[in-house]
Amino acid sequence: MSNFRTRAKLKIGHQSKPAATLKPIVRNVVRDSRLMLAERPANAKLRAQEARKYTLNHLEELHSQLRESCKKNEITYHRTTSSEEACALISEIIGQRQRIAKSKSMVAEEIGLTNYLRKQNKEVFETDIGEYIVDIEGQGPSHVTAPAIHLDRHRIQNLLNQAGLNVPDNSPLTLSHAVRNTVSDFFQNVDVGITGANAVIASSGRIMIVENEGNVALGLSNPPIHIAVTGIEKVVQNEQAALDIAQVLAPSATAQPLTAYTHFVDTPSKNQERHLVFVDAGRTDILKDDRYREILLCIRCGACMNACPVYTAANGLSYGSPYMGPIGAVLSPLLWPESFSDLPDASSLCGRCSEVCPVGIPLHDMLLNLRADSAAKQAGKKLTEKIVWLSWSFIFSKPRLSQGFAWLTKKILRLFKNLRKQTPLDPRRMPRTKRSRDAEMLIPLFEKESIPSKKQTSNQPSSLLEQFRVQATEVGFKIENEATTHLEKCLVLKATGAIAATGSVVFVEKDPFLKKLMEASDVTIMLDKETIVEFPSDAENLIRANGNALIMTGASRTADIEKKIVRGIHGPQNISVIVK
Amino acid sequence: MAILRPEDISSSRRILEALGESVDEIKGYCCGQPAYNSGYRKEAQSVSRKMLRVTRPYETVVVPSGSCTSMVRTGIPKIFAGPRGLSITERTKAFFDFGEFVHSHPRLRELNFELTGTIAYHDSCHGRRELGITSKLIDLLEHINGLKLRRLPHEEECCGFGGAFTVKQPEVSVEIARTKLGEITETGAQILVSEDLSCLTHLQATAEGDGRKLETWTIAELLDRALNE
Repeated sequence: MSNFRTRAKLKIGHQSKPAATLKPIVRNVVRDSRLMLAERPANAKLRAQEARKYTLNHLEELHSQLRESCKKNEITYHRTTSSEEACALISEIIGQRQRIAKSKSMVAEEIGLTNYLRKQNKEVFETDIGEYIVDIEGQGPSHVTAPAIHLDRHRIQNLLNQAGLNVPDNSPLTLSHAVRNTVSDFFQNVDVGITGANAVIASSGRIMIVENEGNVALGLSNPPIHIAVTGIEKVVQNEQAALDIAQVLAPSATAQPLTAYTHFVDTPSKNQERHLVFVDAGRTDILKDDRYREILLCIRCGACMNACPVYTAANGLSYGSPYMGPIGAVLSPLLWPESFSDLPDASSLCGRCSEVCPVGIPLHDMLLNLRADSAAKQAGKKLTEKIVWLSWSFIFSKPRLSQGFAWLTKKILRLFKNLRKQTPLDPRRMPRTKRSRDAEMLIPLFEKESIPSKKQTSNQPSSLLEQFRVQATEVGFKIENEATTHLEKCLVLKATGAIAATGSVVFVEKDPFLKKLMEASDVTIMLDKETIVEFPSDAENLIRANGNALIMTGASRTADIEKKIVRGIHGPQNISVIVK
Repeated sequence: MAILRPEDISSSRRILEALGESVDEIKGYCCGQPAYNSGYRKEAQSVSRKMLRVTRPYETVVVPSGSCTSMVRTGIPKIFAGPRGLSITERTKAFFDFGEFVHSHPRLRELNFELTGTIAYHDSCHGRRELGITSKLIDLLEHINGLKLRRLPHEEECCGFGGAFTVKQPEVSVEIARTKLGEITETGAQILVSEDLSCLTHLQATAEGDGRKLETWTIAELLDRALNE
C-alpha cells in the first residue's frame, strides 16, 4: 500500500518539483497574513480562540439551542453520525432532482459526497474555480482553501482543454474567466445548491459562509433547494463569535482583510428549502480525548500548511487524505485510524504550524502524542523499532557503554564514509567527525550587502471614515461623495453599516436581495458615515436585525490560479459607495 | 550530540573557563529527545531521569546544543506527570543553552573575540520557537570583531532535519535542506554557523552529497576560534 513517503518521493522526483510551484506562493501568503493580522485588534487571535473554545465546552447545549433557532428560521436541521449516513441523507433530500451545483466544502470531501452522488447518476458540478480544476485532474484538492495550488498555469490550461473548454492562452485571467463562464452556464438551470459552512450560529440559526467568487451566493439564491453540510463542531454561540472567527479566517487563509462575501444566511425565500446537515463521523470521540480535543478548534484556514516545510516540499496530494499539512497529519489518523497512521511522521516538528495557527492549536504537541500512541498501539507491527529504542535506552543509561558506543559509531562513520548508498533524492554523505582547518573558507565567494529584514508598517489613517475610504478603495469599491452615474441604470442599495479596517459594507435584507444583487452588474451603495465601525468584531449590532446578512468586501474575485488575483467572477463588478 | 563532534566540548569548555566558570564535563548521558520524538516515552523517561540525577549536584548545566536544551526545558516537563513532574520542571530551569548562557554572562564583556571573515547564520527551530533565544544569539555573534554576519532571507524556515523525521522521510528531509542550502549559497558565505549541531550535521551531509562547498560550525566552535587570550 502506498504511504506518505512513497507518494512524496514520487512528487519530489518528478521534473516539476512541488516546491517550485508552492514555495514562492506560500511564503508570500505567510508574510502577508502576519502583516494583515497585525492590523486587527491586538486580541483578535485570542477572541477567535475563545469563541471556538466556548463551542467545544458547550457543544450539545449549542446544538439544542440551534435546533430551536432553525425551526424559527424554517431551516431543516439534520445531524448524522457517519459519512455513509450523511451521504444517504443528502441523497434522500435531493430525491429525483438532477443538477447539483456544489461549492467548496471540506466536509463534503471528507464524506466523499461528490463521488457518492455521481454514482447515483447525479450531475454534480464543482462551481468553485479551484475545485472545478482539480475535479478534472481527479486527485482531489491539495489545500483546504486553495484546491489547485499544486498546479501551475500550464497544467491548468491542459486540464481545461481536456475538459473541452478550449482556452486560448494560459494567463490566470483567461483561465479563471473560462471556468467562470462554464459555471455561470450551469447555474442557468440548477436544482440543488450544496455549500459548506464556516460557522453556524446557535442563537439565531444563521449559517455563516465565506467566499470570494460569488458561486456560493448563486448556490444560495438560485436553486429551489440549498443544503449546507458541515461538521458538528462548527456551531458557535452567537453573531459575535462568528465575527470573531471571520476576523482572523480570511487574513490567515489568504491574507485578505475579509473575503469578498461573508454570508449570514437564514430563512429561505418562498418556494425554497434550506437544509443544514451536520456530520459527526468520529468528532464526539475526539472531543472526549483531552490530548486531541482542541483539534476541533480548527477553522480550516490552511495557515498551518502554508507555513509547513514538509507540505511545501511534498505538496498536499502526498498526504493521500482530504485533510493535508499539519492539520491533516493530526486529524486524518484521528478520523481514520486504519489508514493514516504514518502521517504523524510527516513532520520535522519545527513548530511553525503551532506558531501561525490563529486559534492556537498545539499541532506539534499533538503530532508527538500521536507518535507515542502509535508506538504503544502498534508494538507488534513495529517490533524492530521497539528493539532499537529499548537497546538505545539501555546504552544511554550507562555512560561507559554510551561512550563506547560513541567511539564505535565514530569509527564506523569514518570507515564507511564513502560507502553510504547515495540516491538522487538522498545523496547525503556520512557526517564528518573531524574539524576542517581550511581558514580560506572564511572569505566569502562574493561581497553582498546583508538583507534588510524589517518591513515598514503603514501609517494608520486617523478617522474611521478616512480608514474606510482607504481600505474600501483597496478592495475595489469606488468611493464617491455624489452619484456620478445615473442611478436608474444600476441597483441602488442602502447599507446597514460599514467596517473601516477591512473596507467592507454590511447589508441586512430580506430575500430575494441576494438574487437581485447577483444579477446586477452595476451597484450603488448608500452609506451613512455614522454607521462605520472599526473592526469586523465590532459589527455585531450591524448584522443583528432579522434577515439575511451580507458583509461585502469588494467585488468578487479569485486567486485559485497561482494565487494571482483575478477580479470579475460572479455578481456585480462596478460597485460605488456614496458616503453621506 | 557531542558524539559527533567531541571537539565542540573542548571549545565550550574553553569559553566557559575564560568566563571564570569551573567546568565539569558530563559525558555519556542523554536528554532523551530521540526516543521522545519517535513516540517512545518510557525509554525517553528512563534515559532523561539518569541524566537529571547525575546533573543534580550542579548549580547550572550548560548544554552545547539548542535542541537538547529545548528537550530539557519543554519536552521533559511533559513526560513526567504529577508532583514529581513539578519538581522536575523546576529543576530544568537550571539548564541553559550554551549561547544563551554565554550571552547573559556578566563577564562576557571582558573577553576579546576577533575573527576576520564572513559567515552565514542558521537559526534553529528549537532555539527560535521553543527557547526564544534568536536575538540573544545574534547579539552574541555581533561581539566578534571583524566578523561579517549574513542572515538568511527565510531564517524562520526549518532545515529539514527533525531527528526521527530525517530517518523516516529522507527524501522530503533532503528536499527541505536543499532549499536552505540554496539560500546559504546565495549569501556568498562558505561557513554556516548555528547553535544546533543536528541542523548543521544534516545540512553538511546534504551539501557534501550535492558537491556544495560548505563548512559548518557551532557557536561554540566559532567563539573558540575567535577568542584572543
